[in-house]
Amino acid sequence: MTASPQNDHQPLKPGTEFLRLEGITKAFGGVKALQGVSLSVRAGEIYHLLGENGSGKSTLIKIISGAQPPDGGTLYVRGVPYSRLTALQSLEVGIETVYQDLSLFPNLSVAENVALSAQLVQQGGRLARPLNWKALRQTAEAALRRVGLRDDSVFLETPVADLPIAVRQLVAIARGIATKATLVIMDEPTAALTQKEVENLIGIVSDLRKDGVSVLFVSHKLDEVFSIGGNLLILRDGQKVAEGELKDYTKSQVAYLMTGKALDQTRYRSSAPQKEGLLEVRELGRKGGFEGVSFALQKGEVLGITGLLDSGRNELALALAGVRPAERGEIRLEGRSIQIKNPSDALRLGLAYVPEDRLTEGLFLQKPIRENIMVSILDELLRGYQLDFAASNEKAWEMVKNLHIATPNVMIPVQSLSGGNQQRVMVARWLATEPKVLILNGPTMGVDVGSKDALYRIIQNLSSQGLGVIIVGDDLPELLQNCDRILVMRRGRLAREFMVPDLSEETLTKELLSETSTL
Amino acid sequence: MALTSPPQTRSPFSVWQALVQRPELLTLTLVLLLALVIGLINPVFFTPQSLFDLLRASTVTGIFALGVLLVLAAGGIDVSFTAIAAFCLYTTTLLVLNVAPDAPFALPLLISIGFGLLLGLLNGLIVHRFRAPSLIVTIGTQYMIRGFLLAFIGTKHIMNIPEGMDRFGRWSLFQFTTAEGARASLPVAFLLLVAVALLTWWILSRTLLGRAIYAVGGSVPIAERLGIPVRSVYLFVFGYAGLLAGLGGLVHASLNQLANPFDLVGTELDVIAAVVLGGARVTGGTGTVIGTLLGVVLVVMINNSLILIGVPSTWQKVVIGAIILLASGVFSRRKLA
Repeated sequence: MTASPQNDHQPLKPGTEFLRLEGITKAFGGVKALQGVSLSVRAGEIYHLLGENGSGKSTLIKIISGAQPPDGGTLYVRGVPYSRLTALQSLEVGIETVYQDLSLFPNLSVAENVALSAQLVQQGGRLARPLNWKALRQTAEAALRRVGLRDDSVFLETPVADLPIAVRQLVAIARGIATKATLVIMDEPTAALTQKEVENLIGIVSDLRKDGVSVLFVSHKLDEVFSIGGNLLILRDGQKVAEGELKDYTKSQVAYLMTGKALDQTRYRSSAPQKEGLLEVRELGRKGGFEGVSFALQKGEVLGITGLLDSGRNELALALAGVRPAERGEIRLEGRSIQIKNPSDALRLGLAYVPEDRLTEGLFLQKPIRENIMVSILDELLRGYQLDFAASNEKAWEMVKNLHIATPNVMIPVQSLSGGNQQRVMVARWLATEPKVLILNGPTMGVDVGSKDALYRIIQNLSSQGLGVIIVGDDLPELLQNCDRILVMRRGRLAREFMVPDLSEETLTKELLSETSTL
Repeated sequence: MALTSPPQTRSPFSVWQALVQRPELLTLTLVLLLALVIGLINPVFFTPQSLFDLLRASTVTGIFALGVLLVLAAGGIDVSFTAIAAFCLYTTTLLVLNVAPDAPFALPLLISIGFGLLLGLLNGLIVHRFRAPSLIVTIGTQYMIRGFLLAFIGTKHIMNIPEGMDRFGRWSLFQFTTAEGARASLPVAFLLLVAVALLTWWILSRTLLGRAIYAVGGSVPIAERLGIPVRSVYLFVFGYAGLLAGLGGLVHASLNQLANPFDLVGTELDVIAAVVLGGARVTGGTGTVIGTLLGVVLVVMINNSLILIGVPSTWQKVVIGAIILLASGVFSRRKLA
């Protein structure tokens, strides 16, 4: 890292206080997002900021990174008080943030995304300065190597828009560590990463620690939090409810502190599958995705399908949904052979698919809850040439009630709901079609513990009524808590089948990462 | 391994891929093809005289286009620059005629770009302050500036422009008489386009400001998070476009030996089309100087040279339209995030 531009601060001795917040408050139109939060960040330590959606985590991060000013309170950086930090000041004092949405410029190259802000900060935000391409490249190369990405010129010059999401995530992390930051904030950095990449990230974090850098994680994945270790900060309803070392807490204590209620951390699966076959898949294949996949699903069964990101699990889910249809093999529903050539075939036949990324693939964020739900059943709501709005209101209310969506009415835009409630609107849309099979892809990605709990209860309730449910994803505790059986995919084929009740997470992880097929 | 896997790349030698990554190659191809077609049908096109005509006609459009390029790269759009140019050229001419009719060209030049800069900054301030769509803002300022010019400053054509402007307009870089006795000349004003192109290239590719312009064009909220002063970027690009409008307007009047307050307005779409044909996206964040210049040559060639092969002027619009559609089909293959 010879040529990379730095902020010219002396490194802090591990354990000395870098950042302290005192009595930070923030309100949005009468809603108190933060009610006097105080906390302290010492150099060379790892912190996990935990809290449900709406607890004030994101607001706190925005105040530290200078994206928003607080209403009251003081920030101390190396003992110097600030009533607020601007985005530039925050960067200048050595705080880097890896945002949940990655905040990469799609039109700029990898090198520019990684290293441009370093030069800008070095020049104190003044734009009328020459650009040092050589230093830019060197900073970018060093940072990319550290996160395990390529550092050749082809990759450096690739526009970020052309990269797959997992690589973008790593590029965002590379930007966070490109300067010698004193504190790196990572907002859900593992959401798009495979297990191996997560392990690599944990390696990077421990290297940073050795250099006296603090890392503040924002995460929903309690298992990951505990495997990384460090310190804990828990927010609930805009107030800090816990601060301390992670080893002094158990998972269920943490979940309790986050939600304020005791959650059932064990198995949600309550009913058993019926003896009646529902869906049968025989030798299904699609070039470049998966081959020779055969399995069956009973009525009322919850089946998990997992595997690494490139195992073909997503492709299989998309084939059943008709988004990218299978090219070979047979699908039978209730004994009848069916053809799924596009999403509307799947819907008509009774296969509903809830995609992974509710923000880009699923919801019309600016539209009301009612419109988001009724869009899947427009045919049913048609009276002549007009939509029956009374019936759609009724249907929307029914869904809001059944799925416990917290909202005063069905006409508010989906974007003003919390992540968990948004997710339930999405499920509601597909349940409105009264499907026979519900396919959920990564159903609780980016959703807090309380909302997960609610969604799991909904899944179990639906399956006890005879709905067949397929959960696709790599949240292993989720699969273990909810499924009857779990299929593991590897390199496009089914590698292993497990019956869940006697399955440990360890066995499943091992199988997921093993290279040879045993089936 | 996903960790080290390269980004999805297709065959490295595919023509298609090259076009997608360097859209100005398509512009270059179209320029060459069109030149070839025109020249084969009417060899007059390949004489120095018509080359000089082409460069002369490209000068003002090119100066305007480089300003528009910066605004587009920053994610905005400007349709007021023709009104600014008309305002500057007419007001400056009137002012200089009344105050210092014998002043050298530098005086009207400074006055005109000064007016242009101020009006451009006004655009930038409004767009940033009210977070308003720049299309609407500049439609508004276009009407206001033009209305103000015609209502308060004047509506009469001025044929006897000031001495300095007149001399500058006639000043030739090269000039000779052809065998047929026609005079061919390349005005010195063309050098102004060259200078502006070099300056714009330098700003875009050699300064932090240049990267900041593309960054703001990529995403304003992300730019704000990374401490990029978005206000400065907006003020700069609109100010620069206004300044170049003032410059282009004055050069236009000097070359034509005429200050006409009704001039230029209505040609803004030709200029924007040239920039877009040069590979800049209307949605912002892209665009190069070389592409823009090629786009200008393409549009000017269609407007001025198709006549050489007997294409009626009404059909020139059809050709521009068709080429824009073709280019947008190619450019849309570039992935959006």
